[in-house]
Amino acid sequence: MSADLEDAKDERLAAQAAGGDRDAFDALMIRHRQAVYRLCWSATGNAADADDAAQETFVRVYRSLSSYDPSRPFGPWLRKIAWNCGLSVRRDGNAGFPGVAGGDPPEAVDPAPGPEEAVAGNEEGRRVADAVAGLPAELRMVMVLRAVEGLSYGEIALAAGIPAGTVMSRLSRARKRLLDALGEGPGGGS
Amino acid sequence: MDCPETQGLLAAFHDGELPAGDRARVEEHVRGCRECGAMLADLARADRAFRVPDPGPAYWDRFNARVTDRIKREAESPGVAVLRPKDGWMRRQLRYLVPAVAAAALVMMVVRYGGMRPGIPAPTAPPSTGGRAAPESAGERMAGGKPGSLETRKAESGPVAHRTSPPVPADGRIAGVTREGRNRPAARPLPAGSGETSRDRAAAPAAIGAPSPPPTTLRAGPAGSPPVPAADGMAPGMGAGEKKAAGAAAPMAESQLSGKTISASGRRTAEEPTAGSPCEEARTLSARNRLREAEDVQRACLAGELDAPSREKGLVFLAELLDRQARFTEADALIAEIRRRFPDSLPLDLYLRRRPAVQKRSMEVPATR
Repeated sequence: MSADLEDAKDERLAAQAAGGDRDAFDALMIRHRQAVYRLCWSATGNAADADDAAQETFVRVYRSLSSYDPSRPFGPWLRKIAWNCGLSVRRDGNAGFPGVAGGDPPEAVDPAPGPEEAVAGNEEGRRVADAVAGLPAELRMVMVLRAVEGLSYGEIALAAGIPAGTVMSRLSRARKRLLDALGEGPGGGS
Repeated sequence: MDCPETQGLLAAFHDGELPAGDRARVEEHVRGCRECGAMLADLARADRAFRVPDPGPAYWDRFNARVTDRIKREAESPGVAVLRPKDGWMRRQLRYLVPAVAAAALVMMVVRYGGMRPGIPAPTAPPSTGGRAAPESAGERMAGGKPGSLETRKAESGPVAHRTSPPVPADGRIAGVTREGRNRPAARPLPAGSGETSRDRAAAPAAIGAPSPPPTTLRAGPAGSPPVPAADGMAPGMGAGEKKAAGAAAPMAESQLSGKTISASGRRTAEEPTAGSPCEEARTLSARNRLREAEDVQRACLAGELDAPSREKGLVFLAELLDRQARFTEADALIAEIRRRFPDSLPLDLYLRRRPAVQKRSMEVPATR
């Protein structure tokens, strides 16, 4: 990918991609695919469905580029599509997207534990992982967007279609559940 | 600022959402208050604990190619998008209802004025050969018609089947106009080793670490078919690797070029050979919970010529079919065999992770034939 594309703003890349520039579309994917995957994962709660939804997100983005208005920010538009794709997969259970000609097999995802678990292999890591997986999708979503992506309350509210106050309350609930899983509730931590 | 007031602002402080004045006051309080300081530290701890499992670099290496492949295949598999779970219930119902009503109306006209009965293929040219046969759907509008889009290039390069609003099938059948579009292969006989290529499985991205099947296994049609430069739906500038990945969809483009048309509903016309493979059939049947038939078909698929990765995945799928029929002992034996033949089988590992859930479901819901 050229440095020009790497430095280009999302909106410009989207406009180029809408004009048929595959490299621009690739650049957009490279730039956003991990965030999209995480958001899809927050909606679905498992890797296979997150994979399906993340792919579908970019398929929809590609199909919708011609209707995208480059004067509007690309990120919120993309996040909305990703979240909706994630919810669609979740709503359909394990069926996933029909795909084509029988559909994609679930992409293999790294089954290995993350570095923390690998090193520690501890009970706490598993408890936290369970707690994260056990969070309702709406709570996972705000946590992904805040704790991982670093979005503001306003941006999260936009992506989730909820008031900023609801973002705060969901964050609070999610953090409390995680702290409970860590073994020390709020105020009791070190 | 006292503790209750501070604690009410701690989360916003932690998230950087407080205005400068409040931020300074909270900061000052926290510096001198152990309890509030501990609560603030907890917020950071919770955020650190929250992690999304990353699928790993191999996954990301293949991601773009897989999306490209999916775009290609969706563009060339009419009728599939109709079933996409995209919108609300009402809209989904309308998507099925509108084409079905349109089909019914046309069939009635044909029966009344054309002296034909439903179920008999119309001798006239299928509507798909004449370009768009139905009003543009929301999905198509989203895709737009800008020059350069896959859909537009398809339309320019030859016959195109409408993807999201299938109109009347050429053969006049009404029932399940959209469902059949998706499950088309299930209605066909399933000759083992019929010479059909295993398009879906071979075309689907291989699991990480498994080599992609050679292109020759991906392309149907007569041997030595000429390349299809215009109808391949590739965007300008697409690299060789992408073209290889996207080449999975080439059989349909070839069939279109060779005059084998696809009805606007996605159903192939009567004279056209099926593009479905036994493996594809098995997936379709399985999705419809016709497990015994799916198993038979999958066995037929495995009896044919398959490259190693496809065989590996096919065997794993067969094991799943056995599990879904609560035939656990047979599945165990098959899994042992897969393990013996493919000691590091990632598809098997992945299946084993979800096998307990599959087995549990199979005991709750008896399989239907």
